[in-house]
Amino acid sequence: MTAAAINRLGFVVVALLTLTAPWFLPLLVDSFWVDIYAEMLIWSLLAASVNLLFGYVGLLSFGQALFFGMGMYGVAIGVAKLGLGFWPAFGLGVVMATAMALVAGALAVRLTWHYFAIITVVFSLIFYFAALSWKPLTGGDDGLSFTMPPIVSIGEWELSLTDPTVQYYFIIAIVGICYALMGVILKSPLGSAFRAVKENDHRAALIGLNVYLIRLTAFVIAGFIAGVAGALFAFFGRYASASYMFYHVSGEAVVWAIIGGAGTLLGPIVGTSLLIILREELSHAWEHYLILVGVIVILVVIFAPKGLGGLWQALVRRIARPETPPPSTDAKGEDKP
Amino acid sequence: MTKDVKSKPAKAPRSGQTRRSFLQTALAGGAAATTAYFGITHNAFAKASGPIVIGHQCELTGGFSSWGYWHDKCAQAAVKVINEGGGIAGRKVELAVADTESNPAAGARKLRSLIQRQKASFVVGSVHSGIMLASIPIATELKTPYFSAGEATEATGSKGSRYSFRTGTDTYALAAAGVPWAMENLGKNWTMIFPDYAWGHSHHQEHRKLIEAAGGKVNDPIAVPLGTKDLVPYLARIPEETEVLFSVFFGALSVAFYTQSKSMRLDEKMKMYSVSGTIEAIDPRDINGATEGVYFLENFPRPLEFKNDEYHAKFIEMMGVDPVYAKDDKSGKVMAKSHAWQSYENFFALKAAIEASGWQSDKDTPGVIEALEGLKMENSLAHPQGTKILRAEDHSGMIDCYMSRVEDSKFVLKKHIPREDLMAKLPPRYDFRTHKL
Repeated sequence: MTAAAINRLGFVVVALLTLTAPWFLPLLVDSFWVDIYAEMLIWSLLAASVNLLFGYVGLLSFGQALFFGMGMYGVAIGVAKLGLGFWPAFGLGVVMATAMALVAGALAVRLTWHYFAIITVVFSLIFYFAALSWKPLTGGDDGLSFTMPPIVSIGEWELSLTDPTVQYYFIIAIVGICYALMGVILKSPLGSAFRAVKENDHRAALIGLNVYLIRLTAFVIAGFIAGVAGALFAFFGRYASASYMFYHVSGEAVVWAIIGGAGTLLGPIVGTSLLIILREELSHAWEHYLILVGVIVILVVIFAPKGLGGLWQALVRRIARPETPPPSTDAKGEDKP
Repeated sequence: MTKDVKSKPAKAPRSGQTRRSFLQTALAGGAAATTAYFGITHNAFAKASGPIVIGHQCELTGGFSSWGYWHDKCAQAAVKVINEGGGIAGRKVELAVADTESNPAAGARKLRSLIQRQKASFVVGSVHSGIMLASIPIATELKTPYFSAGEATEATGSKGSRYSFRTGTDTYALAAAGVPWAMENLGKNWTMIFPDYAWGHSHHQEHRKLIEAAGGKVNDPIAVPLGTKDLVPYLARIPEETEVLFSVFFGALSVAFYTQSKSMRLDEKMKMYSVSGTIEAIDPRDINGATEGVYFLENFPRPLEFKNDEYHAKFIEMMGVDPVYAKDDKSGKVMAKSHAWQSYENFFALKAAIEASGWQSDKDTPGVIEALEGLKMENSLAHPQGTKILRAEDHSGMIDCYMSRVEDSKFVLKKHIPREDLMAKLPPRYDFRTHKL
């Protein structure tokens, strides 16, 4: 099998497992893990938003939790304060996050490296404290909980996320759409422009690319993805809280993206899943489990610097049959100039 | 007994699968699936006669861990007493503990874990208001009775549900209990200083309503930004005419407030008043008299002598604390007594409701809820805080409160506020019995 075929097979297996998880997971482990798997997929979108910026554009953001929080609050405020239905509230969350990304990005992407990282943290902190203080709207440090509105309601028949199976498939559908969207973007000329800016922004500018606009576009798309994750998580938890806006949440997403493999489309799912499984298992055994998680992260970073995605690719290259070389023009198989 | 369920991680798939190994794997998988099926049916039958799992969602780590330590100790003690007395309806109680890390995100996740993974049928919940409010919708959806211990009014108010209960006080009850006496004895011109977040604002709003209704004057509030270390600029804004300075701080900021206000001699110019949450888990002796003369509204008097009965004595003996300062001399920890008692008594409230309703399994939970609504709890070893009622309408505990003053670093009772006085000032604002079960 070629490397591409192995990757395709791996993808199909993971997709099948994901689609059938509500049936097969309870046979192997507790049904609780179906919810945890859904949670992993939501958080992986936040890691994917970090990955889009860091892995493809070279911008390390510690502020993605701001857009996640905006997505959450859009949904919670929409339902609890404005009395909106499911879809308008979902839309409000995503629009709020994307608009915030546009505003923050317009200023932030003028900077790079540590200056960029610092300004993203600052944005995150400003809105974190604003959310804590603005109790009438956000619930302050108590957060804002709400009752789940139905997705669709026809007469007395309702489809709602209160049904665990509906919730699971709704989450995988939205997460799947987001990853497909990222896949399309990364394969498009815009994706090539992202990589060009990451590799060398001066050269990219010299060949006519508008580096500022490309970085801003990536920032807004990443904000949109984080906003979708936040909106989904608000529906998942029936709650929004400023604590999700704090920069340590962004830090976790950075770790998930790096462990999964920055610059790989599905790496964030792997990194997020691994660390959430570790968290679930270790936190039962030891309340200071984060120390162990930290050690594991350090080991992965040292021994697999390209993350688990990079490790997988190395493994695939080792076991795969080499790709058929293109027809050669001489006996040695070398092209002549 | 602590329940801790672990599952084995799935093995990674191996490459180079042969037909024989495939068949071996398929057979093993089939056997495992069958076993799993038997496991499921076994659990279904075991549930009605096996132990009753009660979850405890508490703050073992993070910012609230100085309180969480005592909540955990109270829960462990309650389960030990119940099991030594024959359990609940003849069934042992298994305690499933989940650490919230003092964080709403982790707390909400751990609640799901308690109910779905560890199969807790009832949950004694968090003292952290944010965690509590994040948890109530989940507990409601999973149809699991949940006892809050935090002070946010919403838990038994706008965000409450048929499944949410609280035996202790909230900011509404604390204002109703403390304001009448404080207005009469401390003064009518009030200034409130608090951290600029929900807990402080909630106290301010609830107190303001009652003070103004009683003819008092409330000056502009002083909200201190989070993360402030130096309170002097904020203390300097307190108006001269203030007679009562009401403060609500927590942990290190609380210590900073008392220390700095003492050094500015504010206590000589005005009466200082607060609620027990401000001084929980803090020994006045450890802060060099900074709280000397401050009035505190307590839910449970810190010294034994102000509720001197055998149940209180036995309770503090179980907690391993001294009868004056409520301190464990070995660890140096001071009991968070005004709140942690809920994590002890709530188990007994559940025991009474389960036995009264004849609960066998989760399908009988509506009966437990109906039994909890209006439950009367007598002063006893099960309820050492005192006689109380879990009001049927809003699921709120109606308890005795205690106005104390720190004198020579000891809490000295000034006024015992009986629950009847509290209830007179505290009409129910919600009736959860109208919600379907």
